[in-house]
Amino acid sequence: MKKAWQVFLYEYTRHVLRKRFIFGLLSIPLFIGVIMLVSVLAVLLTSNKAPIGYVDQSGVLANPLPLPKKSGLFDQQVPMLAYSDEAEARQALKSDKIQAYFVLGPDYLQTSHAQLVYLKEPDASIQSQFRDFLRINLLAGQPADIAKRLNDGSQFIIQSMDGSRQAGGNQWYSIIVPLAAGILFMIVIMTSGGYLLHAVVEEKENRTIEIVVTSLSPGQLMAGKVAGNICVGLTQILFWIFLALVGISIGSRSLGWVRNLDISPPIRFLILATLVPSFVMIAGLMAAIGSTVTESREASQISGLFTLPIMAPIYLFYPLISNPNGTLALVLSFFPLTAPVTLPLRAGFTVVPTPQLILNLLVLVVSAAGSIWLAGRTFRLGMLRYGKRVTLREIFSRSA
Amino acid sequence: MTTVEVEHIRKTFGSMCAVDDVSFDVEKGGIFGLLGPNGAGKTTSIRIILDIFKPDGGRVAILGGPMTEAKKNLIGYLPEERGLYQDISLERCLTYLATLKGLSRSEARQRIEPFLERFDLADHRKKKLKELSKGMQQKAQVIATLVHRPQLIIIDEPFAALDPLNTQMVKDILIEQRDRGATIIMSTHQMHQVEELCDRLVLINKGKAVLYGKLDTIRREFSGHDVLVRTPGAIPPLPGVIESKPHNGSVRLSLAEHTTPQDILRELVQQNVPLEQFEIAMPTLDEIFIQIVRDSGERE
Repeated sequence: MKKAWQVFLYEYTRHVLRKRFIFGLLSIPLFIGVIMLVSVLAVLLTSNKAPIGYVDQSGVLANPLPLPKKSGLFDQQVPMLAYSDEAEARQALKSDKIQAYFVLGPDYLQTSHAQLVYLKEPDASIQSQFRDFLRINLLAGQPADIAKRLNDGSQFIIQSMDGSRQAGGNQWYSIIVPLAAGILFMIVIMTSGGYLLHAVVEEKENRTIEIVVTSLSPGQLMAGKVAGNICVGLTQILFWIFLALVGISIGSRSLGWVRNLDISPPIRFLILATLVPSFVMIAGLMAAIGSTVTESREASQISGLFTLPIMAPIYLFYPLISNPNGTLALVLSFFPLTAPVTLPLRAGFTVVPTPQLILNLLVLVVSAAGSIWLAGRTFRLGMLRYGKRVTLREIFSRSA
Repeated sequence: MTTVEVEHIRKTFGSMCAVDDVSFDVEKGGIFGLLGPNGAGKTTSIRIILDIFKPDGGRVAILGGPMTEAKKNLIGYLPEERGLYQDISLERCLTYLATLKGLSRSEARQRIEPFLERFDLADHRKKKLKELSKGMQQKAQVIATLVHRPQLIIIDEPFAALDPLNTQMVKDILIEQRDRGATIIMSTHQMHQVEELCDRLVLINKGKAVLYGKLDTIRREFSGHDVLVRTPGAIPPLPGVIESKPHNGSVRLSLAEHTTPQDILRELVQQNVPLEQFEIAMPTLDEIFIQIVRDSGERE
């Protein structure tokens, strides 16, 4: 085990301490961060903070209650200024003292019609703020609990038959999270697998393999390599999750939905239960490819064939979520290469029946074990073979 | 005492028989030559000894029994296909390979240092392997083979890509290793190196062991019936001599079947011929090698 540990340390540090890896690790969150920063700046810089005026001919805003203070970055409120008549409000608008004004006619309580007057159309948030302002004042005489209920408005919540999951109109992020997890998952297994593939081919290419296999057993070598390269992928994913959590903690101050962001325990379990066998399966497959070929370029071409099925659930996202328990979803859940992304995706949109889920995970575990067996066998057959690829017949031949 | 026992090993790849019933023993503390032309089966034999390949038949005992993981730490191997990790520094590469042979990192660094000094690589320790010349990489591989002080050293074509100066240094190191008690198996087709270094040898041709034993005994067996004679003047006609021809300033006399070198020496003394040189003409290993390989070709 000591030697497998040495291989693990070597494989891990040679990637993690490499400038290319650190650049890749930081560049994606940096890229996302820059895009978000630019978007935030664009919103903040282009939003008009000038007050809104109103002319109340109905009397509902005779003694107005102000809007409750909000602290969010995107919840900045503009002042509401009352004008006694339209002429005064129009004058203020022309002299840029206000960005727009609302007129509530004498029959506002009967018609619920308000008129918005502007020279340049204001943001949608301006109407929303005035609506909140009106609602608060219309409910001023009501008991607090009734006022709050009316202010919260309607909420549709769809609950699964077994009560384990629910989704509502304001919980759209519960759909995004499994999708994001699937994509992240795919990126990481492909990255780790890619590192492993090149680690195996490199030793064949530079002819170090012969020295290495006379120092430790192929089993120890592969264990160290697989663990080392999986940990490289895990380092990536954990670092990005850490950054995401930092982003969420910062974002929760500004964005309400981020505050409520939560992944249900079954989905959390499913992601974890899928992650481990999938990692091992892809690692085994990549090691097997690395053992059969003799050049990195050839290895990349063959490994590309595996990328397609792994990404297929993303391409088939729409038909998959339209019918998450349909034939396509079932097939993709049972096929080992498509299951790693399909299962978390489906779980975001439906309740996958437990027996089916157990069977899916079982298939993944068996596939992981099979790919490790395959890796060991191809490695033994192909480690010292140059110029001639190991054939499938040889791998599955009894005498091999 | 034997360090390696090879008994009737056989290995085929598809329809090609790479090693066919090869047997030999390697005695402790000697330098053993594993000879043969290219493609003879030397490297396959080495890989079977090292348990990289499983033989189709036969048995190998190494350091007293079958290969184990613990025994791998007692073996140093320099393969014919040279290569090291190209993208890391020389020092890191050597340290990593030494730790795979059971040394701790600090122990590995301590042992690598004197080798780097001796091989003139100390100034290049931080350089990536790909920045070093082929000869330097070859020296680095020799260090990786010896740094853990192995009991058994197996080297495949150790002098390839080395200049005469470094060839001599590697030879000196091999003799040092033998003197400290290590057993060395040297696979090569450079016969003069074997003559200089090896005590015993096996010659493999087309997968079969065609010659095996002590170097001196083999040369004596192949010495034939010739003597080398050098005199200040011409050599008079001698009874029992079939043919005489010049040979590097001497004359090589081929003797008749029942004539011995002693008969010729006696005759020369009796005729008062002043002698500058008189020796039994021993064939070089090159000559033996060519003769054996040619003979086996003719038989087929």
